Amino acid sequence: MTRRYQRLKKEYLYRKSLEGKERVNYENKRKIREALQEGKPIPTELRNVEAQLRREIDLEDENTAVPRTHIDDEYAFAAEKDPKILLTTSRNPTAPLQRFVKELSIVFPNAQRMNRGNQVVSEIIESCRSHDFTDVILVHEHRGVPDGLIVSHLPYGPTAYFGLLNVVTRHEIQDKEAVKTMPEAYPHIILDNFNTKLGERTATILKYLFPVPKPDTKRIITFANKSDYISFRHHIHEKQGGPKSVTLKEIGPRFELRLYQIKLGTVDQAEAQTEWVIRPYMNTTRKRKFLSN
Amino acid sequence: MANTNNAGAEALRRLKEVDPPSLLAPNPTLSETARAASQYLFSSIRPFSQKCPLDQLLVDGYDAEQIWHQIDLQTQPLLSTLRRRVNQFVKNPDEIAQLKVPSSVAKKVEAKNHEEWEQESDDFDEELDEDDDDEDDFEGVEKEEKNGGSDGEEEDDDDDDDEEGSEDEDEDEEGEKEKGKGKDSGIEDKFLKINELNEYLEKEENNYENAEEADDGDEDSEEDDELEKAGEFEMDEDDEDDDEEEDEDDEEEEEGMENARYDDFFVGKKEKSSKRKDQLVEESEDSGDEDDMESNKQVCVCVCVYVCVCMIVKIFILKIKFSYPVFLYSFMQKKRTASTHEKQLEKIQSEIELMEKANVEPKTWSMQGEVTAANRPVDSLLAVNLDFEHNVRPTPVITEEFTASIEEMIQKRIIEGLFNDVQRAPRLPSKAPREVKELDDNKSKKGLAEMYEQEYVQKIDPTSAPLSSKDKLKNEASMLFKRLCLKLDALSHFSFAPKPVIEDMSFQTNVPALAMEEIAPVAVSDAAMLAPEEVFDGKGDVKEEAELTQAERKRRRANKKRKFKADAVKRSEKKARSEKKEDNAIPGQVNG
Repeated sequence: MTRRYQRLKKEYLYRKSLEGKERVNYENKRKIREALQEGKPIPTELRNVEAQLRREIDLEDENTAVPRTHIDDEYAFAAEKDPKILLTTSRNPTAPLQRFVKELSIVFPNAQRMNRGNQVVSEIIESCRSHDFTDVILVHEHRGVPDGLIVSHLPYGPTAYFGLLNVVTRHEIQDKEAVKTMPEAYPHIILDNFNTKLGERTATILKYLFPVPKPDTKRIITFANKSDYISFRHHIHEKQGGPKSVTLKEIGPRFELRLYQIKLGTVDQAEAQTEWVIRPYMNTTRKRKFLSN
Repeated sequence: MANTNNAGAEALRRLKEVDPPSLLAPNPTLSETARAASQYLFSSIRPFSQKCPLDQLLVDGYDAEQIWHQIDLQTQPLLSTLRRRVNQFVKNPDEIAQLKVPSSVAKKVEAKNHEEWEQESDDFDEELDEDDDDEDDFEGVEKEEKNGGSDGEEEDDDDDDDEEGSEDEDEDEEGEKEKGKGKDSGIEDKFLKINELNEYLEKEENNYENAEEADDGDEDSEEDDELEKAGEFEMDEDDEDDDEEEDEDDEEEEEGMENARYDDFFVGKKEKSSKRKDQLVEESEDSGDEDDMESNKQVCVCVCVYVCVCMIVKIFILKIKFSYPVFLYSFMQKKRTASTHEKQLEKIQSEIELMEKANVEPKTWSMQGEVTAANRPVDSLLAVNLDFEHNVRPTPVITEEFTASIEEMIQKRIIEGLFNDVQRAPRLPSKAPREVKELDDNKSKKGLAEMYEQEYVQKIDPTSAPLSSKDKLKNEASMLFKRLCLKLDALSHFSFAPKPVIEDMSFQTNVPALAMEEIAPVAVSDAAMLAPEEVFDGKGDVKEEAELTQAERKRRRANKKRKFKADAVKRSEKKARSEKKEDNAIPGQVNG
């Protein structure tokens, strides 16, 4: 099992390393295709490889025409399989944090909660892999207030590190709430204002935590990005009255996420390549937005 | 006389009661009163001014300028007289003791005089005249001089008074700064205690202030200041230190008193002082038009020496009143030029001094660039608002509007149905779909011959696509159409263009044309028949037997023989092989 995993990981890394070359190849093929279509002469730098590439172009189909990146590899089977999530905390969690994690386990469909005990992260990952989990989520805290969220996609997938702000748990509004139970149908997802490449990447990471819903569910989970702060909201909607009026009722916890790192490996790989990390002491960070435009 | 006197006094009194703003507008009654008052004053002063050509102040029909001129005529020589008198008193202190007014006043006056001279140019240097007669008169004159002068001025210009007063004050200050250079008062008699002195001074100052407010508000501050300055002056004067005298001597030297000599001051202190006094006495006899600053200065020094003996507070009060007329002249000279602009300049100068002082001092810690905790006072950062540049955007505050905007967006998305759900992707075929061969149980519609036909056609000409099940309908349709066309063509003439050849391999039976024509309609052309090549395929020149030449006959026979022989060989080979097999087979069979 581990050996197979090791092999797959090596393949993944190798293919990642080939991405550069593949991209160049793809570019050349595209140029040749364009030249052929427009009837222009083929650019001189491609003369040598032209014949080979032309043959490849002929043999292409829709899947091979697009260059595949490591992202596609990571989420290759994500659309085909339903996700399976494991939720844990940091060591020695306080009671409020435990409650929060319990809420989160209801929010994410197909999620399981596990006590941390004194497990090491690598052990957790091992066990997850053997039980075919697709994602691991670790929640951290500061004196009872949840302040960190680490989302790790499992088969050698990316790890996203978020900071949590303005957390309001369901327990805090328990007394006012009429509805004590929460529906557990597969929800619709709304991802708003993720425009840049990095934004798209974050959006896919968050999106593939959820399975394919039925089209008529009433449950909606929103990740709305505003100046690099992602607001998580959880509603139930009802279409009362004919003329396209929708009433929303907020259930579930509400918090702001702030992405500060994406690593191209699982949580236990400390030496994994960093895809992106926040630079708070750079003078222009204040003016730039990384997740939107 | 009494009546006029009374009237005059009355006028004067009324003038005093007038409030200053009413003086701004021209008022005929007021001017009448003023003229009466000035006349009265003039006549009352007249006995003391001998040199004055006028007996009476002429006011009727004269304007302010002329009246003023008359007053001037009287007062100017009077002033000089007074000055001379004071000088004399300074030189002869004994005379002062005889006066009602204690001597220190005169000395004060002298001191101030001295300061004036030091500051101004050479205006004062003339006229140290003979004595005056009555001390009382002197005093009275002084007072009335002051009043007259002040009233006269009140008519025309209140400001002059103020300016004079302030000038007086300035001079006082400077004199005291020079004179009273800080020596600690080491001298206290049983008579004089400095603390008591201070208390008394302050008390009297307050009293004097309150008293003076009624008279002339403007002059108050000046007089108070003078009092204070005088107080300081008194304090310092109490030190009868010779050092003080020497300091003063030094200062005067610095200020360029050319006639002063070192020996005069530093050769033997106490002896010197007495010597100086003697000198003063001698010099005073000369007096007159002396430009002797030195002697005057020495006089002042002596004055300082004698001060401590007297009743000090009364001295202050009277000194001030005394000093006014004396300095009137100087003030008039000086303060006429002083204007608001100069006042502003003075103000600015003082500000500049302050700023320069601040610049020279070391700066506060908060202006000193990089400051560690050791270089600033404890907890001083708490008081200061520091300006940081934060490179992080502040965390968002979740307001109601924010939540409302999010919810709006969600509602819009719901109505439109635009969700970012995960879409089920079509699975990539990992293996090719196995070809399932279905066995068709139905009887084949095509006959066997047709099937072979089609296979043959396929082999020969792969381009002609065989009828596949997909195109069945198509073919049916096309056949129907062709038939239709044929029928339509049959109705038309033979001379139409032949229909396009369908490259369709079909077998043509070599049916004679007649037979074809019988069956088929008229429109069938000969082109559909077999071509001669198709009937006979042979090449070259075909000859009959009768046409053949001898050589050709021989050739034909030779070819025939050759063929026959070749065939014969083959046949024999075949036979041999089959016999061999039989031979082989038989033993096998025999063996079983």
